[in-house]
Amino acid sequence: MSKPEEKISRRTYLQVAGGTIVGLAVGGALGYLGKPTEVTTLTTTSTLTETVTVTGTPPPTTPALPGAEVSDRAVAGAKQLVASGAVPAGATIKLLHVAGSKNNFEPFFADWEAKTGTKVEVVTLGGEPDVLTKAMAEATAKTGAIDIITIFSTWKGDVIEAGLAKDLTDYYNKYNPEYGPKYPDTTVIEPLADYTTMYKGRRYAVDLDADVFTLTYRKDLLENPDYAGQFKSKFGYDLKVPDTWEEVKDVSKFFTELNLKAPDGEKVYGGYFYADPGWAAFTTWLCIFVSKGGILFSPTDMKAMINTQEGIEATQVMADLVPYMHPDALSMDWASLYKRYSEGKAVLTMAWPSLIKWAQDPSTSAVVGKSGSALAPGSKVTVGGKEILLKAANNPVNWIGIVSNYSKYPELGYLFWQWVTSPVVGAESVSRVGIMDIFRECWFMPPYRETFEKAYTPQFLEVFADCIAHSFPDLMIKGSSEYLDKLTKNVNAACVKAKTPKAAMDDTAKDWEPITDRLGRDAQLEAWRSMIPLYPPDVQDVWKAKGYMS
Amino acid sequence: MKRIDRLSQWMGKTESFKKLSTLPLNFVLNFVLIVPFAIMIFLSFTRWEPLSGYDWWHASIAGVPRFMEAFGDARLLWALIRTTIFVAAVVPVEFLLGLGIALLFLGDFRGKKAFTSVVMYPMMMPWVVVGLGFYLMFQYYGPVNLLLLKPVFGEGGMIDWFTNTVLAFFAVMIADIWQWTPLMFLIIYAGLAAVPSRLIEAAQVLGASSARIVRTVRLPLIKPLLVVALIIRGLEAFKVFDIVYIMTRGGPGVNSTEVVSLYVYNLSIVYHNTSYACAVSLLIMVAIALVTRLAIRPLEAKRE
Repeated sequence: MSKPEEKISRRTYLQVAGGTIVGLAVGGALGYLGKPTEVTTLTTTSTLTETVTVTGTPPPTTPALPGAEVSDRAVAGAKQLVASGAVPAGATIKLLHVAGSKNNFEPFFADWEAKTGTKVEVVTLGGEPDVLTKAMAEATAKTGAIDIITIFSTWKGDVIEAGLAKDLTDYYNKYNPEYGPKYPDTTVIEPLADYTTMYKGRRYAVDLDADVFTLTYRKDLLENPDYAGQFKSKFGYDLKVPDTWEEVKDVSKFFTELNLKAPDGEKVYGGYFYADPGWAAFTTWLCIFVSKGGILFSPTDMKAMINTQEGIEATQVMADLVPYMHPDALSMDWASLYKRYSEGKAVLTMAWPSLIKWAQDPSTSAVVGKSGSALAPGSKVTVGGKEILLKAANNPVNWIGIVSNYSKYPELGYLFWQWVTSPVVGAESVSRVGIMDIFRECWFMPPYRETFEKAYTPQFLEVFADCIAHSFPDLMIKGSSEYLDKLTKNVNAACVKAKTPKAAMDDTAKDWEPITDRLGRDAQLEAWRSMIPLYPPDVQDVWKAKGYMS
Repeated sequence: MKRIDRLSQWMGKTESFKKLSTLPLNFVLNFVLIVPFAIMIFLSFTRWEPLSGYDWWHASIAGVPRFMEAFGDARLLWALIRTTIFVAAVVPVEFLLGLGIALLFLGDFRGKKAFTSVVMYPMMMPWVVVGLGFYLMFQYYGPVNLLLLKPVFGEGGMIDWFTNTVLAFFAVMIADIWQWTPLMFLIIYAGLAAVPSRLIEAAQVLGASSARIVRTVRLPLIKPLLVVALIIRGLEAFKVFDIVYIMTRGGPGVNSTEVVSLYVYNLSIVYHNTSYACAVSLLIMVAIALVTRLAIRPLEAKRE
């Protein structure tokens, strides 16, 4: 005989479920409060953000560790941490990075482990935007699951203000990674070192890369005497590496209309400049805009200055280039430029230095030995009644390494960064095919120069130092990912003829004002003002001449 | 010993056993669903974002302005309109195609089992793979242009799909239809196959044509199943994210293919505007719940 079925009443169910929720909540809260180390980290978050604004931090008193070279000091530091018990032997630091930098870091993990007795593990993400997603999730959840992260310098303001990036100033002083004019032979090239690693006067990152955009062109085609004659008769001046964006347009038009065929039989286009919804603004547009003397925000009141004449002209230049660019430029991701150029389907392009590594690699390129490099094209601007050629190269999304505030072993994480970016180890790491590019002075000189000449070509090394000298940083203030997302979509809209250049810029300005208001106009203004000195002096002079700043 | 006796006695009661056996489910629900959901509700009443410089549990209540903001948000409105167009376009097409294929598969033919597996494959593929595949297929130098359009219309007939706001959305729809028609097929085929054969035979004896049998016998019998299939697919289509994110990222231009899920993603992940994203999510959830309620009403009325 079976027992009659007993039903749980709604009340009983609610009692059980409610009890479970309350029990779990109380248990969770007690467990959370009972974790001393994590609580310390958690409760200091808001203070950390405030610390950023303190400029009078006393200099650290810990003397630098002995070691002839940057990497030696990093290894000695890691060993000392293990010996002192601050870090257990065999401890593991977790690195969050993208697949593109696998080849730059992973081959060195075994060596680091052999030297220090500590390990590095990776969490590899496929797409660059995913890094920001994970980083901000960690900033909110504070799990400590990730110790060190490679991020775009564009996101620096966001990850610092969110409390994720640790202030590394004391580690810099303790272990001396050799940044700045005191180390002219080894330093990370200025002004790169400062603008990629500093925020409001403190060091929050280690430089991993030099992403200054360079003009890359098909030397064999631009030096072809037949094409030179045809070009001169069509445009009235010599075919040469373009100095201005107007010349870029002419050269792109000329080669597109020649209907040349790439090795695989597809059409060769005159140009390939990023104009897609993901990259248009960070890269091509910003370079043209600044070379025209444009300034993103007013240094007086943080008003968006994007819809000034310079902004509209820069957008017009891009829209005019569209018919002469490879169609992928409007819709594909960044890697497509590398692929198409290396397949011989574009004559002129502007990209990160790693493009040359791809174009020089016989396994990925059909144009080995046919590329030349030059400083990004500029614009003719009138200053004080005199016309000058203003050239400025942007440094979009330069990779930098940060250490998480929630890491169990932040010092060890920093030391790994110092080691892998040191003159000796970094030379090996950066010269490999991957997304990290040459950033230390010594790598332009013997004994390293030969390695880098092979990776990039001797001509590129000659040009690149000049590019860095003319470089300017990404927008690196709080909310930059949002500002740039709105700008880049509007630039793309103008390129696909969904909007006029003026409407695109007016709409961007309209979109930017509420962002500034939401994030605090005064704080944003302070951050923007601290960025202005990072622009090249000739750009600042033009801003002064135009009355944009005093 | 006494304690063990008491425990086994307590376990012996059906009610106690039920409580104990639902404990793991409660645990999972509380932590995986209810607690985050409660946090989401809390955040939707605040003005917190990760860049605020303080932790979310320190955020003060700002009241309902976040919800009011959503009502005046033109971008949200357009995302809703686009999502509705997307649902209204893909679900009927998937339904009709699924129905057509199911009717074809009702009869016996050689290799039916193998063909059934082939028809099901798209549904088994991850959304990301489908998005990426169609993204590459619709590129200017992709197979759609080179294999379908160029041989017929020449080079001039090749289309730059992702630079045209309408065509880009159309490409996304095609990807969705390709992937989810098999689900409709599966549900409809299962229903049609379950219709008692005696009813079909009776209709045949009475001289009904095949089309009439489908219209007046088969489909009315599986009507509740069809409504459920449309609701499930409609809800899923409303949540579309992956293929839009991969194929267009909301572009070309300014959000021309941005759907609601992508907008919420942009708000929370790209713009870090977490509390507003929570408010928008809640509003959308309530709206979907209301629509679903209306959609299942006819079924309930019939049952009563």
